[in-house]
Amino acid sequence: EPPPILGTWPRLYTAVLLFLAILIALFYWFGQVWS
Amino acid sequence: MKLFDWVVLLLALGGVIFYGLWKARGSNTTDSYLRAGRTMPWYAMALSIMATQASAITFISTTGQAYVDGMRFVQFYLGLPIAMVILSVTAVPVFHRANVYTAYEYLEQRFDSKVRLLVSILFLIQRGLAVGLALSAPAIVLTVILGWSAEATTIVMGVTVVLYTALGGVKAITWTDFYQMLIMMFGLGIALVTAIWLLPADVGFLGALEVAGGAGKINPIVTAFSWNDRYNLWSGIFGGMFLALSYFGCDQSQVQRYLTGSSITQSRLSLLFNGLAKLPMQFVILLTGCVVFAFFTYTQPPLLFQKHAQSQIEKAAEYPELKARYDAAFAKRRAAAGNIAQDKAAYQAAAAEFDAVRKQGSQLAERVLGEKGFNDTNYIFLNFVTTYLPAGLVGLVIAAILAAAMSTISGEINSLATVSIIDVYRRYVNQNADDRHYLWAARIATTFWGIYAVVTAQFARNMGSLVEAVNLLGSLFYGGILGVFVLAMYTKRVGPWAAFLGVIAGETAIFALHFSGMTSFLWYNVIGCLVVIAVGLGLSFVEKKKPA
Repeated sequence: EPPPILGTWPRLYTAVLLFLAILIALFYWFGQVWS
Repeated sequence: MKLFDWVVLLLALGGVIFYGLWKARGSNTTDSYLRAGRTMPWYAMALSIMATQASAITFISTTGQAYVDGMRFVQFYLGLPIAMVILSVTAVPVFHRANVYTAYEYLEQRFDSKVRLLVSILFLIQRGLAVGLALSAPAIVLTVILGWSAEATTIVMGVTVVLYTALGGVKAITWTDFYQMLIMMFGLGIALVTAIWLLPADVGFLGALEVAGGAGKINPIVTAFSWNDRYNLWSGIFGGMFLALSYFGCDQSQVQRYLTGSSITQSRLSLLFNGLAKLPMQFVILLTGCVVFAFFTYTQPPLLFQKHAQSQIEKAAEYPELKARYDAAFAKRRAAAGNIAQDKAAYQAAAAEFDAVRKQGSQLAERVLGEKGFNDTNYIFLNFVTTYLPAGLVGLVIAAILAAAMSTISGEINSLATVSIIDVYRRYVNQNADDRHYLWAARIATTFWGIYAVVTAQFARNMGSLVEAVNLLGSLFYGGILGVFVLAMYTKRVGPWAAFLGVIAGETAIFALHFSGMTSFLWYNVIGCLVVIAVGLGLSFVEKKKPA
């Protein structure tokens, strides 16, 4: 059965991995600004 | 701990336990007791998964780690979201369709009973070695900070957990975990907000970041790779992914959380939510440690955060001289922090000087106490909480830490009991009893493992670093177990003997690596897992197929 959001499972998985990539970028930026 | 703190603590924890037992009424079959009859929604499983992973040490130690070493520890979890996606694609539908109570039961369906028994025994040894640690670690710290009796702390916590775990089964565990996780998140948020609120008025949150960053504490991403360092971007993504695959995919204490799902979709969503929420949560814990660091830049901390060690070194002849230098180093660093925007280099030099004096304090403690490798990282956060937080909030943070300990222990003794009954007792000892018999056997096994956890926790407190060594030995089984699940789910040709010998070969490789000290701990399991897969595939070419 499809997931409740984003329509298909591959899309939801991609969204989770995209979120991870954004977090890594944000963490990296945070470290650059405050060091 | 004032009276108001005790009221908050007992209301928070007591209320949660009664709620869990109320939700679990009617768990009177093996299926409802061990799998909640597969009725759980994703949000309950998601928070239960997170609560089982977050132990008391996660809160006590991680904040202190940011204070001492900075935020780079967060990278340990970078591989976790990738692992959650992989498990959603593979393990969740496989386990759900196999309709199993334990992950190891599936191995018999795919291979045969000897592979299942081997991996079940590896799990029982691994979890059995570590289960007392989740109780003893917070008890040691609470003893020093609050003056509680360590025996009483472990026994009260242990008995409470056994009571609701043995009575209510997995439903009680999931719903108490759910609210224990909410208490943890609330307690954590309160600790961060209060720490910011306690900063001097002219410093504020941004000033705190500047002070912590100037001292090198804000380093969440380290891009330089090194084999021997687990806290960098690449080790975090690859090593952390393997570790998360093992822990969430092959360790019954986690697998049992999402075997209770009402559908594949619900179980998948619970893992994916864990993948989304885990990193931000760890980030907030570490950020709290950085703010506490800034707070102690303006308010003088004790030389050592461990009260007992501090009172012992005060008796030493060289202490007055050390204390004078410590006071001077603190004053110099505070003055330099006030001028950080103009002269950052002077601040960094003052911070390094302060750290050097504190290190001499640790070395003095080692000599006076006669213990090697003294460090007070685990005492920093609770020392801050109990000294500076207002009444009521102290009780809330202590409740969060006890909730973390209890939610971890409950999942572990519940999974140990399930594997003992389903994979060993019902499979080998007594195959033909009625359901009621196995339900009571599971209750007795839960009680046994709970008592076992309390007893080993009592021993663990007196053995210090030996416990960590034992815990490390247990974690050496992860690679072999992960390897056999990869063979089970991704290959069709590998038969039972190839898988069985593959696990033996993989574990031999891991123990050889460990005792030769060739590479860092994070990579043992990756290499071991690859050995299992290679040997299993290789032997599959010589193993005769079962006649169809």
